[in-house]
Amino acid sequence: MLKSVQRLTMLIFARRESAALALLLAIGTLLGLQSETFLTPNNLLNVVRSFSWIAIAAFGESLVIIIGGIDLSVGAVMGLAGLIGARCMQSGMPLLPAIVAGLLTGCLVGWINGTIVGRVRLPPFMVTLGTMSIVRGIAFGLTGGWPIRDLPMAFRLLGRDMELYSVAVPVPVLVMAFLAVVMSLLLTHTVQGTYIYTLGSNERALLVSGVNVAQVKVFVYTLCGLLAAVGGLLMTARLGVAAPTAATGYELDIIAAAVIGGTSLFGGEGSILGVLVGAAVMQVLRNGLVLSGFPAYWQTTVLGTMILLFILLDYWRRRGQV
Amino acid sequence: MEALLKAVHISKTFGTLPVVRQVSLEVHPGEVVGLAGQSGSGKSTLAMLLAGLYPPSEGRLYFAGRQLRWPFRARQLGIEVIHQTPDLAEHLDITSNIFLGSEICWPFGWGWLRIPQRRRMDREAARILADLDLPFDSLREKVANLSSEQRQMIAIARTLTRSPRLVIIDDPSLLLSYPYQQKLLSLIQAWQQKGVAVLFSSNNLDHLMAVTDRILVLRYGQCVAEFCTDDASREEIVAAMVGTTDRRQLTPIIWALESYYRAREQAEKLRYSQALLERDLAAQDTINRQLIDQLAEQINALDSANIALQDAQRRLLTELEQERKYLAREIHDQIIQDLLGVNYQLEGIEGDESLSPVLCSKLTEIRGSIRSLVDDLRHICGNLRPPTIDSLGLGAAIQSYTRDWAARTGISVTLDLDPNLGRLPEAIELSVFRIVQEGLHNVRKHAGAANVEVCLKHTSPRTLMVSIADDGRGLPEGFDLSTLPAEGHYGLLSISERVALLGGRLKFQNQSGGGLLIQAEIPHPRVVLPRGD
Repeated sequence: MLKSVQRLTMLIFARRESAALALLLAIGTLLGLQSETFLTPNNLLNVVRSFSWIAIAAFGESLVIIIGGIDLSVGAVMGLAGLIGARCMQSGMPLLPAIVAGLLTGCLVGWINGTIVGRVRLPPFMVTLGTMSIVRGIAFGLTGGWPIRDLPMAFRLLGRDMELYSVAVPVPVLVMAFLAVVMSLLLTHTVQGTYIYTLGSNERALLVSGVNVAQVKVFVYTLCGLLAAVGGLLMTARLGVAAPTAATGYELDIIAAAVIGGTSLFGGEGSILGVLVGAAVMQVLRNGLVLSGFPAYWQTTVLGTMILLFILLDYWRRRGQV
Repeated sequence: MEALLKAVHISKTFGTLPVVRQVSLEVHPGEVVGLAGQSGSGKSTLAMLLAGLYPPSEGRLYFAGRQLRWPFRARQLGIEVIHQTPDLAEHLDITSNIFLGSEICWPFGWGWLRIPQRRRMDREAARILADLDLPFDSLREKVANLSSEQRQMIAIARTLTRSPRLVIIDDPSLLLSYPYQQKLLSLIQAWQQKGVAVLFSSNNLDHLMAVTDRILVLRYGQCVAEFCTDDASREEIVAAMVGTTDRRQLTPIIWALESYYRAREQAEKLRYSQALLERDLAAQDTINRQLIDQLAEQINALDSANIALQDAQRRLLTELEQERKYLAREIHDQIIQDLLGVNYQLEGIEGDESLSPVLCSKLTEIRGSIRSLVDDLRHICGNLRPPTIDSLGLGAAIQSYTRDWAARTGISVTLDLDPNLGRLPEAIELSVFRIVQEGLHNVRKHAGAANVEVCLKHTSPRTLMVSIADDGRGLPEGFDLSTLPAEGHYGLLSISERVALLGGRLKFQNQSGGGLLIQAEIPHPRVVLPRGD
């Protein structure tokens, strides 16, 4: 009996994503039993919608973490990308160019991060801490601290629901699903994906194989910026307001989603599916804490503890392998 | 011809420690340049610098006439590097590791959207691994689960996915067993034949002597000497490596004379006590010092006696051969001719009509025994000095000898001669012939075998492998070369002496299916093989 339990535990913890998945199911069941509102389709769709932009940004973040780096500027990039898009629309630009402008903002910040980390070889923590402040500062400077309101309806539709087989699915969730498939394919079925994993686990092996390592790093950071911008634009569309303070502190949630989903902070491991589950865990936990009336001021403590626990779990698993 | 790789005054300092100092070198296409030096002499660091991984403190590097700037990606330029320890991606499987950085992709992918063609890469990888005699159950095995030898071979296999212009090899043989070391050497030769330049750094002088054209010697990060391999002796190279002009004997001579073994043992004991004494020298007084001096003198004396003994043996053998040659000529030119003369005279007498038939048949009998006497003498001459060796060379001499031997003893001989045997110096040809002779003699006397296999093959352009395998009794349990002379057996001993005098290596071993295998690897000046791929 004890043995089979042990084996089951081993099986669950052998795959990186499964710990988070188990946790998700556990919390979900608990909340479903406790509160009647949690398992209603409406609440569930709400939960999925509210973690969709976090998840999208976390796809990029997880790539950065897989190559052994970290990007602290994602939250600020989400805010600035939404802001630039909104600013362009306000000044009369058509929808599509405005969105592209927002996306390009994300790419640019990511490219700067990647170039400094990859080619100058500075530690990513310091570099992205710097760009985080710079980007947030630009957001404040551009707006003078005031939010941009009255966004065009066409843009705000991106944050609404879409009738799909008579189910109202939020557009951000569709975008998230699409990007999850694309990123999964990139990671598992392309040469670049192989390079990304190898870069995290053994950079030297890649170096002696003649791969342009700096270029891969620039690619990953730029992609991370781009995905953060996608998330930021969708968030802005949903909220209908582009505030310079938007997405403040989201970098923590994004990194947490990646880490809880099994992306290793030591590099070389992680999957998009895991990130999805991780983002879900974060949001469900938040949602559940609110529904169960947990004191609001203490909620961050719970989330922080959760992150720490998962990093410890990853550490133990690694030690077990060695 | 312009140099493919040209390094000018390259230096590298770690902190304040100079590791490579002002090294300049050139490697030409189709040339194998060896890099010798003790460990810590800066070979690996130099290889890293040339591979573009570290920037040097100073110096310039040109490849195909273009100056390179660090850090550069060597593989992009057509430079393959085999490192001392393999850098593999642990979580990837064998195929992915072999093709890492040079994946075969579907034609429709582009840039970072390239999609690998797994099937084709697997097929190619299987072919490369088969070439390297490296079997795997599955190419999907993660390299983290492989032995370090297999990992090193995979790193070598990686260089075969592209066609390089220059290969830099940083002594990977530490992790490789003998057959794979030989594989690496044959790869180097194949590269050389294709006109690829090779820079081969190794701690193994045998390897360097076998395949290189030139040898550079590094000591304390400096290039202290350069040798042309064909003209260099091991002693010179070792002397340059350790930096002594003193002609000390560095490697023991290993042939087996009983007295020599005793002397050697004594020497070892003396050396040991010298080491012991030296250890607490500080606490000792001058008497000990004198004692040590005496001991050192004795050791030197023993060493020089040892060398003198070896010289004497060599002279003895040469004179023996001379003597045999002289004897053979004497017998052939004098005695046989005289006997034939006598025979001729008897023939004349036989023709005389006046002789009685009884006497006539007696005469015929005598003439018959004279003829067989002449045949016996010719046979003896042949053993003393193989008649064909001077004119037709070793191969022909061994062919005729083994045919003759098989006919005489009734033991069947299979002969496997290298088609590119070529002509070797007289002393070596004679010695090889004698080794085969002694070996076969031994087989007839002791083995009780029905089949013998004699094989002469070049294992590299500078070494010849002579092997004699029989299906007889094999060596007895607890066989010891040094006790043979006491029992009056000199056959194997004389083989071992001859091999030792040629600076070669000898191995006896019982084969798994019974019978003895004698293998002698003999170094010789390079034989120029006909070019061709």
